[in-house]
Amino acid sequence: MTIETSIPADTGVEAGATPIVSIEGLRVEFKTDGGPVVGVEDVSFSINPGETVCVVGESGSGKSVTSLSLLRLVEFGGGRIAGGSMRFARRDGAVLDVAKASDAEMRAIRGNEIGMIFQEPMTSLNPVFTIGRQLIDGLMLHKHLTREAADARALELLRKVRIPEPERRLKQYPHELSGGMRQRVVIAMAIACEPRLLIADEPTTALDVTIQAEILALIDRLKRENGMAVLFITHDMAVVAQMADRVVVMYRGNVVEQGPVEQIFEDPREDYTRALLAAVPRLGAMRGKSSPEPMPILGATAAPLTAARPATPKPGSSRDILLEVKHLTTRFPVTGGPLRLTVANVHAVEDVSFSINVGETFSLVGESGSGKSSCGRSILRLVEPTSGEMTLDGWDLRRLRGADLRRARRDMQTVFQDPFASLNPYRRLRDQVAEPLINYRLASGRELDDRVADLFDRVELPRKFLRRFPHELSGGQRQRVAIARALATSPKLIIADEAVSALDVSVRAQILNLMMELQTEFGLSFLFISHDMAVVERISHHIGVMYMGRIVEMGPRAALFEDPRHPYTKSLLAAVPIPDPRQRRLHDDSAFRAVPSPVFPIRHAAAPSTYDEVSPGHFVLEQP
Amino acid sequence: MSYFANRILSIILTLFLISVITFAVTNILPGDVASMIMGTQSNPEALAGLRQSLGLNDPLPLQYAHWAYGMLTGNWGNSLIFKVPIATLLGEKIKASALIVVLSMLIALACAIPLGVWSAVHRDKWQDTASSSTALLGVSLPDFFWGIVLILLFARFLGWLPSSGFVDPAVDFPGALQHALLPSIALGLGLMAHLTRMTRSTMVGILGQEFIRVARAKGLAERSVVWRYALANAIGPVITVAGLQVGYLFGSIIVIETLFNYTGMGWLTYQALLNRDVPLIQATVFVIAAVVMLANLAVDLIYLLIDPRIRLS
Amino acid sequence: MKRFLTSKGLIGLGLVLLMLLVAVLAPLVIPNDLANRMFMTARLKGPSFAHLLGTDQLGRDLLFRVMLGARTSLTIAVAAVATSLVLGLPLGLISGYYRGRIDNVLMRLVDTLLSFPALLLALAISAMLGPNLQNTIIAIGVAFTPFLARIVRGEALRVAQMPYVEAARAAGTDDPMMMIRHILPNIMPQVIVQATISLAFAVLAEAGLSFLGLGTQPPNSSWGLMIQTSRDYLDIAPWTALVPGAAVALTVLGLNMFGDVLRDVLDPRANR
Repeated sequence: MTIETSIPADTGVEAGATPIVSIEGLRVEFKTDGGPVVGVEDVSFSINPGETVCVVGESGSGKSVTSLSLLRLVEFGGGRIAGGSMRFARRDGAVLDVAKASDAEMRAIRGNEIGMIFQEPMTSLNPVFTIGRQLIDGLMLHKHLTREAADARALELLRKVRIPEPERRLKQYPHELSGGMRQRVVIAMAIACEPRLLIADEPTTALDVTIQAEILALIDRLKRENGMAVLFITHDMAVVAQMADRVVVMYRGNVVEQGPVEQIFEDPREDYTRALLAAVPRLGAMRGKSSPEPMPILGATAAPLTAARPATPKPGSSRDILLEVKHLTTRFPVTGGPLRLTVANVHAVEDVSFSINVGETFSLVGESGSGKSSCGRSILRLVEPTSGEMTLDGWDLRRLRGADLRRARRDMQTVFQDPFASLNPYRRLRDQVAEPLINYRLASGRELDDRVADLFDRVELPRKFLRRFPHELSGGQRQRVAIARALATSPKLIIADEAVSALDVSVRAQILNLMMELQTEFGLSFLFISHDMAVVERISHHIGVMYMGRIVEMGPRAALFEDPRHPYTKSLLAAVPIPDPRQRRLHDDSAFRAVPSPVFPIRHAAAPSTYDEVSPGHFVLEQP
Repeated sequence: MSYFANRILSIILTLFLISVITFAVTNILPGDVASMIMGTQSNPEALAGLRQSLGLNDPLPLQYAHWAYGMLTGNWGNSLIFKVPIATLLGEKIKASALIVVLSMLIALACAIPLGVWSAVHRDKWQDTASSSTALLGVSLPDFFWGIVLILLFARFLGWLPSSGFVDPAVDFPGALQHALLPSIALGLGLMAHLTRMTRSTMVGILGQEFIRVARAKGLAERSVVWRYALANAIGPVITVAGLQVGYLFGSIIVIETLFNYTGMGWLTYQALLNRDVPLIQATVFVIAAVVMLANLAVDLIYLLIDPRIRLS
Repeated sequence: MKRFLTSKGLIGLGLVLLMLLVAVLAPLVIPNDLANRMFMTARLKGPSFAHLLGTDQLGRDLLFRVMLGARTSLTIAVAAVATSLVLGLPLGLISGYYRGRIDNVLMRLVDTLLSFPALLLALAISAMLGPNLQNTIIAIGVAFTPFLARIVRGEALRVAQMPYVEAARAAGTDDPMMMIRHILPNIMPQVIVQATISLAFAVLAEAGLSFLGLGTQPPNSSWGLMIQTSRDYLDIAPWTALVPGAAVALTVLGLNMFGDVLRDVLDPRANR
């Protein structure tokens, strides 16, 4: 590794000699009703000047607790540093053990010598203060600047993080800025006093992939320009590959493995690291393959699961169309006034057409607000479409009412994103899976019990879970229950709306494999709605890319991933981080896309979507 | 501009509904205004004549139309017990009530906000327990009970303040304050306890948010994190809840003004109810509901000024 | 369950149970003549060994009176809250579940009703119907309905948008079943908390009504009525007001503590 060469010459630190931070045997406990709980058990690592250390782990690994301990912010959340030392080399050369520092010493360090950015840009800024005011208070506190000097410096900072129209932003409130811009402001705040260390705690997790690419590039550029060290906390191995000089892998409060980024990715020593890497879907991994394949999973359970899989149906063998959507448009009224009259419309879905074949997966992919979820909910008739046609296996979904609609719903079931909200917390799992069977009078008595137990077997849940309540299960287990419930009516189509997005990578891979397995077994079709390009590439037969309520490009997986035509598809693919430290591509972070508004006046006549067929089945939206 | 047009339309609609409800409530029983005017020993023929002339034999919607027309044109009629025009009576009494309502609101806010913040900062420590327990006790005692305790303590035992009566502030301002103080405290104690609890829970919520962590990560002193960063966010919700409690205060003044013999709206309403002075009941109930509605509206507008998120959208 | 076993929860529960026990048992245990017997020689006497909490202006034992008053006060409170539940629960449920025009109309009405102070509404209804036990219950029950309807509606609105409700709809569940099986159980925690707090307010409202002579009427005894009659003797016998006042305070305190802890246990959002 080339740590030495990455140290800027002017830091005054001898190459490789003194780390900025060295953590030794850190232990953090949390006080709870049931006695102390260990958040971090035994963590040691160090950060050298000017290097980026990524701490990676799944939820509950203690990675965030470690970063909060370094600023002693963990104490505000009921935590206590129970052991170890965290030696921090201060600007004046003195070394301070942060674990034992006084409140006054900590306040002099926070925001001044160590800056920090957090996960949620939407809640990281105080909603009732202007951007300017939030930028200058740290400067006035630590650098004792006058109001005028601080204002000037704030403007300079906004320029540095490349926010357009910085003068105007200073006077604006956080809610007037988009998520990506807010995260830039948070970063500007964190680097205001030119800290020697920047802690970034999952700074891009809540952001869309194109914005993520911008923010990662920004952090990387600032690190180089300011000669800062960066402690980067993330769960995403692809982000690690793009950002890290060195990697610390954590699991349940302990360091599993640490080392230079190439070594971790190319020669991992520990099984856990290997499993973590194996579960990461790699964009382009499916190149040259004709149909979806299960994710590789390391460990005992995975091997037979893959082996037991029956032969995949040959491509082109099932050409029967199951669902056909034509010119689907869904608009939500924006109401106002005492009589609640409609004053405008949100064009959530605008002239969308596609079809899904029997036994295949069609994925709708796009960023937040693109209309992909509204599209799924329109097909389920959970929201009323404004116009268009939807035919499912001969049923005209749009015109169904009452009993017919209920009957048609038997054929299409749904799995939602949030495993904690998609099950009724007050009903036993058995009753929830049995509910569709009872509603459609598909089974009763002993047969009902048997069917429900079978469904539990199918999704690989132990039968002892039948009598449990949702809160007794983990996120992945709940998602299995949701899938069992969806399978109960033997549907032809399952609409999975971000069904694996809230799960840890290893669990995500298991659920995706389960879905693919069920597809081959029952000939199921999936409408898979996701923002994750790598997952979509792995499991789809056909893909539609959505932007501003329209499908901008649609086609077979290979065509879309290997020959993207629409500029939005291209930018989306380019923004996906690659889990390979040798293929770094941090882009220019100044490429701002204006976020267009999908709200239109009532009488707005939307243009129809017209497409170019660039190759058989591969359609690209014509641009006006 | 259309925002205000909407608002005004909404106010007119609500006032109409308030008048309908008022009229409905006061007509649950067949209105016996006639027998109330003439007394119980009146002869049946005279009673029937009076009924006719008062329009009491008309169908209810027609009666409502008559009444509503009178209210709209400023002809509010005479009180049966006080034998004076209702409009002048109300104009007089509402000023007296406004004094103690405003005073009690100020007392409640001035005590509740610091106490609630203090409690939230020391969450689950003895300071929180102490202030939360006090607040809990405050909401658990009827306000007239506080009134009795205050009379016993400050009027009878210490002799510092008068225990009853009303003095017009235009005539004798210090005297008016002296007379208004005890009823205002009695009125404000329950509200204060409620607002303390509300401030505490709002602050606990805000102190758990990310931007507070960000403020701490900037190195700001805990004092400014709490009193500037957090409180700026809590003040809007607290003012809103306080404003909504104007309704509660206008209910409580009926008891408190009666207890302190403080001749305001509450006292007047009580006299009207006790003597079944239907025209006066209708007028007082309508006016109180309208005042409460307008107070809530005012709070909305204040919130509009405080919170930038609503201000701009 | 563990979080319920705090000192606050236990004291609250203890107070509520004690008051309920007194309300149920007092009329059975205390002989009627003893409660109404007038000790002519011991009028307005302070607490003593013979009369633990003193006597009132007619020489009646205050301890017995206050115990008997518990039944009236609590009966009215419980029945009034039950009335407001019967009226407010369906109203709020339908409004929040179906949304749209029916919600607009119902909530406009509820919002208007909320402009009337609850005590004023209760007093007006009671005065118009004529004060007695039954009408007091109706008056307080109706006056509390808009609050409850508002809260139920808000909760129903929230729950109706939960993914499990949408999943159930996709699973073929019809509207009545949806409300019974999915919406109602999930709004019940909030309803129970609100009902507990409403009980506390109802005890206060009954006391207020009776204090003004528009609630419980003699010869029935309630705490509010006892405070009212004590007003004339405040100078010489303040305990005649303090004893029923303390009874009200302890009951309401118990209900509020119980409600607070219930909220903490049942509503994870209040416990951030």
